[in-house]
Amino acid sequence: MTSIAEEDYKFVRESGLITELIDSEKLLPETVLDPAEHIELDDNAVYVLEHPRLEAVSYPYEWSFPLLKSAALHQLEILLESLKYGVTLSDATAYNIQFKGVRPFFIDHLSFRKYEAGEYWGGHKQFCDQFLNPLLLRSLLGVPHNSWYRGSLEGISSEELSPLLKWRHKLKIGVLTHVVLQAKLQTRAKVKTVSKKALARPLPLKSLQHILEGLRSHITSLSPKDKEKSVWENYTEEHSYDDQETLEKKNFIAEFAQAIHAPVAWDLGCNTGEYSQVLLENGINYVVGFDYDQGALEQAYARADANNLNLLPLFFDAANPSPDQGWAQLERAGFKTRTNAKAMIALAFIHHLSIARNIPLAALVSWLVRIAPNGVIEFVPKEDPMVQELLRFRKDIFPDYNESHFQETLEKSASIVKKKVISKSGRVLYWYSVDS
Amino acid sequence: MNNVQKIIIALTGLAVSGSAFAYIDPGTGSILLQGLLAGLAAVAVAGKVFWLRIKSFFTRKSGDKPEDQ
Repeated sequence: MTSIAEEDYKFVRESGLITELIDSEKLLPETVLDPAEHIELDDNAVYVLEHPRLEAVSYPYEWSFPLLKSAALHQLEILLESLKYGVTLSDATAYNIQFKGVRPFFIDHLSFRKYEAGEYWGGHKQFCDQFLNPLLLRSLLGVPHNSWYRGSLEGISSEELSPLLKWRHKLKIGVLTHVVLQAKLQTRAKVKTVSKKALARPLPLKSLQHILEGLRSHITSLSPKDKEKSVWENYTEEHSYDDQETLEKKNFIAEFAQAIHAPVAWDLGCNTGEYSQVLLENGINYVVGFDYDQGALEQAYARADANNLNLLPLFFDAANPSPDQGWAQLERAGFKTRTNAKAMIALAFIHHLSIARNIPLAALVSWLVRIAPNGVIEFVPKEDPMVQELLRFRKDIFPDYNESHFQETLEKSASIVKKKVISKSGRVLYWYSVDS
Repeated sequence: MNNVQKIIIALTGLAVSGSAFAYIDPGTGSILLQGLLAGLAAVAVAGKVFWLRIKSFFTRKSGDKPEDQ
């Protein structure tokens, strides 16, 4: 950190806020290092802060509804808490929130600065664009935010959301003010001169807190329009029984996890996180789950939340994963750039890509083994009812989709440690290891 | 450059932190809305004070009995 931010840095640290936020596990811990010993970072640095490395970095366009909602509430809580210490935040970007499991953490230690009496909330528009509006898109219209957010990166503006709303949506005060009115005022300001007086009126602290508390209670009440709240709260009832097949699959995954003992594993097609949980219960410290089904992701969130699991379930389309994007395409790392897993599992996964998305089996296998040096891939044969379902309305143009071809391609890039047939339909688990 | 642009630029300048990656655009609509909400809050407070005065005027008039009974 250079001298520009020194004054704010001192004020904020002396207020006691940072210690309080770190102690309550709302802010990532920091260690103050000697700048003289880290001259290579920046020779103008007056302070050097070090933070623990996160197991996984994720972005709002990869979050499910409950993750984005929890990040939004966390952002508001950090600001409300800061104001008690005479501190405010210089922005409200969703990229300042990261997760450990499904627990949100604030990560930008330099966005805290001294609060000046009467000042406006500089992050208001950003908060609406990056948190409120994407949540409302799903909550009011039933449309998930992910694709739009991934395209725009800075979220969804009120001017964009407002024209999509029906009049009944606008009856809610939070929608009327932060979306409709803000959009109207913004549009009007473009064509009409705004009086100096209108911009000079101070915003009392009480009013600011009132706005923040209003947003907090509004966001707390939001749930996806297309789902009942109880859907992701009842996951255990749906999966309470273990048939023989599931049990064998779980034992195989448990054995794999115990042998690999990796700090981080990736679960591709994690569904409700059932097998992620098996990994975590057998020696893996952290699991990042990936799935494209919003309902499954919400159930995985509920599972991680209820059991306090180190599981972060993210939205992901394997045929089109998050790219390197943002400024200079370096700002937000893509899926491939972030690969850090020592182990991965892809259960009931490959037929969705090979059959439903036309990805050649050989290309798919070589892509999968490059994700992690150790893994378990489930081969689902064509005779399996789930594959038959995918083939129901289309011609079978997949002569290469068979177990022997699968094994052959797998053996080209990895060695097979163990394999096991786990169902009558002929599903097979392959445990592979890439020789280093 | 007119005054409004100057004010907007000044406000933007205040909100931007030192980091090159911390983007922020306060947006005129957001600032106007907050001003409006502050104004509404002030009206509400004034209204509440006024209402309490009316209420206390009537309760004093009708309240013949001493308070401790």
